[in-house]
Amino acid sequence: MAAALLEPALLRRLEGLALQVRRAVSGQMGGERRSRKRGRSIEFADFRNYTPGDDFRLIDWNAYARLDRFMLRLFVAEEELPLSLFVDLSGSMDWGSPNKAVTARRLAGAIAYVALAALDRVRLTVFADAPTSGGAPYRGRRAAAQLFARLQSFPAGGVTNYERLVWPIGRQRPGMSVLITDGLGEPAMDAALGALQRAHQEGAVLQLLAPQEITPDWSGDARLKDAETGLEREFTATPLTQSAYVNALARRTTEIERAAHRRGLRFARLSSAEPIDEMVQRTLRRIGLLG
Amino acid sequence: MTFLAPAAAVLALTIPAIVALYFLKIRRPTRIVPALHLWPNQIRDRQANVPWQRLRPSWLLFLQLLAAAVLVAAALQPALPAGAALARHSLVLVDASASMQATDLTPSRLAEARRQVNAVIDQLGPSDRMTIIAVGPTARIVASVTGDRDALHRAVNGIRASNGPADLASALILAAGLVRPGDDARAYLFSDGIVQPLRASFAAGLPFPVEYHRVGVSGENVGLTALTVRTSAQTRAAYLHVQNFGQQARSVSVEWRADGRLLDIRSLALAAGQAQDVLLPVPSDATSVTARLDGSDVFALDDSATAVAKTPRAFRVLLVTPGNVFLEKALRLRADLQIDVVAPAAYRPSAAYAMTVFDRFAPPTMPDGPVLIVDPPDGSALAGGKPVGIGRVRAADAGDQLLANVDLQDVHVARSQDLRSSTFGRPLITSQQTPLVLVREEPFRQVLFGFDLHESDLPLRIAFPILTQNLSEWMLPPSVPSHSFHPDEPVTIVPETGATSVNVIRPDGNRRSIAPGSIATFGDTDTTGVYTVEQVVSGKVERSWFSVNLFSDTISQLKPPDRLTLPPTRTATIQATHHGQLEIWPWIALAALGIVAAEWLAFHRGL
Repeated sequence: MAAALLEPALLRRLEGLALQVRRAVSGQMGGERRSRKRGRSIEFADFRNYTPGDDFRLIDWNAYARLDRFMLRLFVAEEELPLSLFVDLSGSMDWGSPNKAVTARRLAGAIAYVALAALDRVRLTVFADAPTSGGAPYRGRRAAAQLFARLQSFPAGGVTNYERLVWPIGRQRPGMSVLITDGLGEPAMDAALGALQRAHQEGAVLQLLAPQEITPDWSGDARLKDAETGLEREFTATPLTQSAYVNALARRTTEIERAAHRRGLRFARLSSAEPIDEMVQRTLRRIGLLG
Repeated sequence: MTFLAPAAAVLALTIPAIVALYFLKIRRPTRIVPALHLWPNQIRDRQANVPWQRLRPSWLLFLQLLAAAVLVAAALQPALPAGAALARHSLVLVDASASMQATDLTPSRLAEARRQVNAVIDQLGPSDRMTIIAVGPTARIVASVTGDRDALHRAVNGIRASNGPADLASALILAAGLVRPGDDARAYLFSDGIVQPLRASFAAGLPFPVEYHRVGVSGENVGLTALTVRTSAQTRAAYLHVQNFGQQARSVSVEWRADGRLLDIRSLALAAGQAQDVLLPVPSDATSVTARLDGSDVFALDDSATAVAKTPRAFRVLLVTPGNVFLEKALRLRADLQIDVVAPAAYRPSAAYAMTVFDRFAPPTMPDGPVLIVDPPDGSALAGGKPVGIGRVRAADAGDQLLANVDLQDVHVARSQDLRSSTFGRPLITSQQTPLVLVREEPFRQVLFGFDLHESDLPLRIAFPILTQNLSEWMLPPSVPSHSFHPDEPVTIVPETGATSVNVIRPDGNRRSIAPGSIATFGDTDTTGVYTVEQVVSGKVERSWFSVNLFSDTISQLKPPDRLTLPPTRTATIQATHHGQLEIWPWIALAALGIVAAEWLAFHRGL
């Protein structure tokens, strides 16, 4: 199953990467992430006075010898990173060549695999007109195949509704969230981005577009049909109208980027024609999502 | 309107084609797009659905049809006709008479005529020629056989209206003289049709057709058509004739002035076509009186009239007669003659008299100067042969100006001297038997009657005082005639004996000098008003006056006739003419460009 979504060679290369967090996180289980909680790791954090009930294994005997006081030695806890993947599988994503939905699944799989390889916990949510949970959180590299299969099991379709993402986002523990979408749904995604900020999520918004929608490759008379709503409009494409469309798309991209930055999120615009390897190794590392 | 490229009408098929495109749907491929809302929605296609659809009203369709129609119209290259066919040689006669000053067309009839002529000039082809003749009291060529449009424009714009009538006959004769046999010529008369009757004989026809282009619309005018001052022993009064030439009743007031001083203002109500005479006493010291209609109508020239009130300087005339009440009364009818009557026995030659009349008497020596001799006695130098019985009389030359208005139909003479062998002069009135009245100009203007007036019924006829007046005025023209002249009518001025300088001061103040030694004809009378003649005699300035007024019912009635009787055209002279064309397609093409631009805007604004 995993091979169907991502090639083994790619998976091997992904194992060398890790999600980059800018601040410490707190998970439910141990992992490889610095946690705000003091815990067990080799990285010294602080001292404090011993109080009854403390784990006496943490008493710094050297300090007792010098100070004749019980001092507890505190270490930075290394915990798992809760990674939430929100993948847009609306009708507009099921478009383009290469298909954006396919690319979105692969990209989500790649990011998830990086997290799973680092023992981070991955929660998957796909959405179109309503969010659908991808099941219980995935943890460990062995869960990757299951996650990939789950990703592929969701069909693309429906109308994008970012506002309905607010509730599932609000339930997230502080951690990292990655939103993969084309950003073309008519209701603005600002509500969803605001929810990410309120839920103390750091992460990224990855706008995935097909090359044909970045640069329309047709002209002349056509009947345009909206991939999501099915609305139709007769249209005559001229250089002037094509230019107006490109400008509108650029404005939309800029709006999303600004909104993301305002919420402390990273942003990248990706083309579905770009190989996943390129996206991960170059673009996602460039924006600091992976390292 | 003509079309220079009628074949372009085929392009009109584009119009139904455009409509068909709106009925017919272009088969469009369906394109699924991820976000329709990002595509500009200002472009709304107006084309129909497969395969037909109801035609929806659309600004775009309207503009496209309009643009196509206008473009087709431009492609047809329409040209407006000149209003007349243009010949290779166009003879343009521009009426520059007084009536063309009427302002029923803005700014005036003449200006409208000039505008129309300028339009014709613009239609001249490269090989066309034009002659422009201004038709006033005299016909004047202002541009002669030229194709230079600028010169023609300048010439026609330089035409000014005179105060006189339009002598169309002279203009046509002048124009005919410019046309050579075989010329492709055509005349265009731009006139209000108020022209002098065509006296000249055009029976042979003109070598070109004449087109009458009527200029002027209204005949609504109130005018002053006569003003005279009559002096009797008791009173002096001015008689004014006012006429409403229009079709609507008018109320006017007449302002009277004597030498510029206001005398009176009279109100008049005139029904349509009504005329009214107004009488006003004139002060004894007044030199001239002026009547002026208040307000303004479309023709100002006949709204004021001036008459000379001063009695002209009198001539002394000696009547030597045993008694002839007819002759004496006829001579006294002329106001400027002072008649002294003497019996033949009392006659003494005197240089004090300007003219001498001998009735049945002949002096041994004729005085130098004008003389009227009636029935010279036998044995005198001028006496004819033995008396002969006459009967009916007739004019020797019916067109003789000395017999103007003299009706000899019922005039009979019982007996007359036989003047057939007389060498006195040319006959004026004659009979089957013998000439009856002879006139001569040399050495002086003199008249010889061969019969005793008492042996004729001539003194009983109205013809007699008229004949006497004609003869006396011919022999003794008034130094300065005091009656009114028409504009541009020549005035004969006889300088006083011993006059060292003679000047005529026009109403506008300009002075014209006249040679004092001889009888002069003053023709610079185009302006209406009072003309002053100043003569210096023995160091003393003597003034006399005459007036110039329009006084023309023909002109004042102003109504342009719809048709004008013009001389026929010689059949053989009708030439192939071509139509003058004013190509308007550039303007239409410009309009089409504007419509296409509007259509483009409408298309992009999604109208």
